[in-house]
Amino acid sequence: MAALLETEGLTKRFGGLTATEDVSISVNAGEIRGLIGPNGAGKTTLVNLITGIYPPSAGEIRLAGARLTGLPPHLVARRGLLRTFQVCRLFGNLSVRENLLLPYLARGAVALTEGAARARDLLQLTKLTRLADAPAKELSGGQRALLQVASGFMLPELRCYVLDEPFAGINPVIKEEIIELIIEANRSRGLTFVIVSHEMAIMRRLCHSISVLAQGRVVSEGTLDEVAGRHEVIAAYLGKGWA
Amino acid sequence: MFTTELFVQTLIAGVTIGVLYALMALGITFIYSIVKMINWAMGEFYMIGSYLQYMLVVSLLGPDLWYLAIPIAGLGVFILGAIVEPILIKPMFTHSIERKDDYATVVTIALLLLLRNLATGLGGPYQRTPGSNLPTVMLGPLPQSGARVAAFVFALVAIALFYLLLRKTWFGLALRAAAQSRVGVETAGVNILRLDQMAFGIGVALAGIAGALLAPVFLVFPTNGVVTTVKGFEIIVIGGLGSIPGALIAGVLLGVVESLGAAFISSPYQNVYGFLLVIAILLVRPTGLFGERGRLV
Repeated sequence: MAALLETEGLTKRFGGLTATEDVSISVNAGEIRGLIGPNGAGKTTLVNLITGIYPPSAGEIRLAGARLTGLPPHLVARRGLLRTFQVCRLFGNLSVRENLLLPYLARGAVALTEGAARARDLLQLTKLTRLADAPAKELSGGQRALLQVASGFMLPELRCYVLDEPFAGINPVIKEEIIELIIEANRSRGLTFVIVSHEMAIMRRLCHSISVLAQGRVVSEGTLDEVAGRHEVIAAYLGKGWA
Repeated sequence: MFTTELFVQTLIAGVTIGVLYALMALGITFIYSIVKMINWAMGEFYMIGSYLQYMLVVSLLGPDLWYLAIPIAGLGVFILGAIVEPILIKPMFTHSIERKDDYATVVTIALLLLLRNLATGLGGPYQRTPGSNLPTVMLGPLPQSGARVAAFVFALVAIALFYLLLRKTWFGLALRAAAQSRVGVETAGVNILRLDQMAFGIGVALAGIAGALLAPVFLVFPTNGVVTTVKGFEIIVIGGLGSIPGALIAGVLLGVVESLGAAFISSPYQNVYGFLLVIAILLVRPTGLFGERGRLV
């Protein structure tokens, strides 16, 4: 299978601190890739690099062979790579419907009618129709997480969706809805996902493969069961004495 | 001496001028909401709007077509803002500078000095007026200056159009989203730097329209924007940063308090009453009457 998202030697330094070092990963089209690692491993930095929030200190990022390195976030999004945020960045004063419509802005004003129709469908799918015109700040934490994930599916050109901690701190019912959304989008649209999460049971269920980050480097790759037994992964999570 | 007639007349005058102050405040709060910086040169864009109005009325359109000069003046100031922003403000946000918004704010102080001195250099320190041949308007038994009433009506139209732009267009949706999260809207595919440019242009255009509308009332001279800028900031504190209803209500409140204070307490202290209102609001509700972080509309 061809690689959709590739990073090569990706390094980010903040002054004397190296947050990621020489990270090379390759995510195939249609794959769900998990990104795990202890706190401070550089997972969110890697997401920020891939989505253009930080320019890398060194290395390359490619989407379907085209160079993403150095592109600003809006151009990365327009190439079909969207993301969610660990700390939910919903637009609280916008309505639920308007939050869904936002990714459509990348396509210009002409797509208004089409966008509204897609938003209706997604509202139904996420059971948020009743709250469509309410400000998003009135939603529960779980509903906000659900809405944040769902909003990315609005963009028809979406090819790779990077979800940063989409399951953190939300109730099991909504977790299940988010999982269903991901599985359905992967199956029906062949959408590629990169998911950062500490929820190992969910990662085992969703991800075709896992990359483990520790101290800014990829220390292991494989299925979750494969990497879970490797001593470098155990050492990264528990310390060298346990490995 | 207190009479009901004087009270009502003063109240109407306060509301009229308050809406015009609110127009200025809207421009300030709008630019702050999107670009996350205070534009200290707002008074100078107000001044340019008033000069454009003066020049258009005196040299081109004549006093009978004064109303055509207002959108042209607003458009002129918008274009100037859209040219100035990428040259002076955008570099603060695109280079690796810490405290970008602070630097951008300092740049607007330099811009203030440049524009003010440029106006003095080009046109001298003289006070000019485009004049107004609008007759006095009778509101019941009470006479009101025709120029003020016209300015009030046009300001309401400008505010309504601005509101519709924000609420009913895709561009407005992007602006409202950017007011809450610049990174969030950027990662949704919106070019935030282009949005900054447009927002700066629209914000200063609101000040320019206020300047054009008040040109026959407060005259045209290089420092005529100072007072309205201060009023604009007072309104933002009273109404709450980023709130359009807040700016409108606070503008009217400020206008009324100042007018009533001047009429019934002492007119030389007119500006003091506004500051007392600001202090009172800060004590009771530091975020302003409608203030909420990142809010727009």
